[in-house]
Amino acid sequence: MNTPLAFAPITELSRRLRAGDVSTTQLIDVYAERIERYADISKAFISLDLEAARRKAEMADNSANYSPNYSPDNNTDNQLALKGIPYACKDLFDVAGMVTTGGSRVLQDAVAEHDADTIQAMNQAGAICLGKNNLHEFAYGATGENVLYGTAPNPYDHSRLAGGSSSGSAAALGFGLCAATLGTDTGGSVRAPAALCGLVGFKPTFGRISTAGVLPYSWTLDHVGTLTRSAADAAILFKALLPGARDISNVDLQGQVIGIPREFFFARCDSEILDSIDALMVFLRSAGAELTPISMPSMEHTRTVSLTVQMPEALSFHNRYLEERGHLYSQDFRAGLALGQCLLAEQYIRAKRFIERYRREMDAIFADVDLILTPATPVIAPPIGAVEVSVDGSSEAAGNAITRYTSFFNMTGHPAITLPCGMHSAGLPVSAQFIGKHYADEQLLALASRIEAAYDFTLPLPELS
Amino acid sequence: MQKLDKKTLIGIRDQLASYAWEDAEITELVDPKLGIITGFQELLDQLEFLRKVDLGSTPPAGDISTK
Repeated sequence: MNTPLAFAPITELSRRLRAGDVSTTQLIDVYAERIERYADISKAFISLDLEAARRKAEMADNSANYSPNYSPDNNTDNQLALKGIPYACKDLFDVAGMVTTGGSRVLQDAVAEHDADTIQAMNQAGAICLGKNNLHEFAYGATGENVLYGTAPNPYDHSRLAGGSSSGSAAALGFGLCAATLGTDTGGSVRAPAALCGLVGFKPTFGRISTAGVLPYSWTLDHVGTLTRSAADAAILFKALLPGARDISNVDLQGQVIGIPREFFFARCDSEILDSIDALMVFLRSAGAELTPISMPSMEHTRTVSLTVQMPEALSFHNRYLEERGHLYSQDFRAGLALGQCLLAEQYIRAKRFIERYRREMDAIFADVDLILTPATPVIAPPIGAVEVSVDGSSEAAGNAITRYTSFFNMTGHPAITLPCGMHSAGLPVSAQFIGKHYADEQLLALASRIEAAYDFTLPLPELS
Repeated sequence: MQKLDKKTLIGIRDQLASYAWEDAEITELVDPKLGIITGFQELLDQLEFLRKVDLGSTPPAGDISTK
């Protein structure tokens, strides 16, 4: 049975486009109508270029690959999988001719002259950019709250957060406004909103996908990532963004050794989330995977290490705008930048040395396991406006809780993917996170695709009025 | 290590090469209200702990080896 077009994964859309069931122009029309219908609720987009999208759609519809002689059954070329597929990107990515606002008043006149490397790669694959997504200002924060462009809500409950900082990217997919989105992930900003909204969030090995042409937040921690409706779609995007990526289709869960880090990554976690992860573990065992407990490096000071790197780097970039436009930044971001000013150089260098130590400790762990499994988040999507959330009787800043299980892997640079694996009794999605070895992105994506294909769990579509 | 004093941060602002942060931002660091940064003092306490950890000759993190 076909999924409604607006919620169909790329794999299905591509098949239907090749088979002539639908044209790219019709697809653009479906999304454009929904973008307009849900604009006031979703807060998903900061800017749109539907005119250019329609022009490209017409070209795609008239191109040779859509001829009746083309066989969808032989569509093994990944490049063709994205041809005519409408997507959107977080408003940190440069798209030539469009403003890159960073979700801020500061850059409302910053028209990009060139495409970011990743946008170029998507163009070359034939994907069509519809517009640019809302976010937490300059990616500073995991709640996705934005006083200027509004706060993107969770598609499953509009009184709750989509999560951030790629909040609009998650909302755009959750409301059925495009087929995939590009985001950035500095502490979980792709994986966490994807997890809270029932989507698949993937960040690659650090440095593997170019960040050129993307507004930086922290060079040491920034990753370009993807939000999609399936792991199979994430694999398609990864191959488009990294054309030299290996083609791994023949993977089996049988014999995979999966590390389970109970001490930190299963602590202070919603009990229903833990139940869903337990059910997933039962499936993984039944599929032949070996689950083994592992001890991770001490997590006690990891947030401190991350902040000590983030804020001086963010300040170093934003210094170029502060003198002229400092008054246009939001109050919370300015306070964060001020903190970056007050840290000592030795503290920054020491934090980067801790990151190297974390990487070496993780390399030692990965000598014995193929993957690591954790819950994606310890909480379901918090209410919009919540400053703190409480789990097991202890309170925590909402943004810190959202990224508590994700941010460590930005420091270590390991590829990581979040997959929906359950529904909470509150009617919100629950997700798992798998972490792979450095440069084993293809293996991770292939295993995640295998899991989603075999695991008996289907997420209901959000009920949108 | 003594407790962080707002005067210290104002001194950094005024006497070292620094952007001219407003008093509100300096106050947020010593008496946080916004919730994202949970307090500079807490961060400094943790950094002081980390300062005492012997990292040997571990270099700062750079690119990730392809090995």
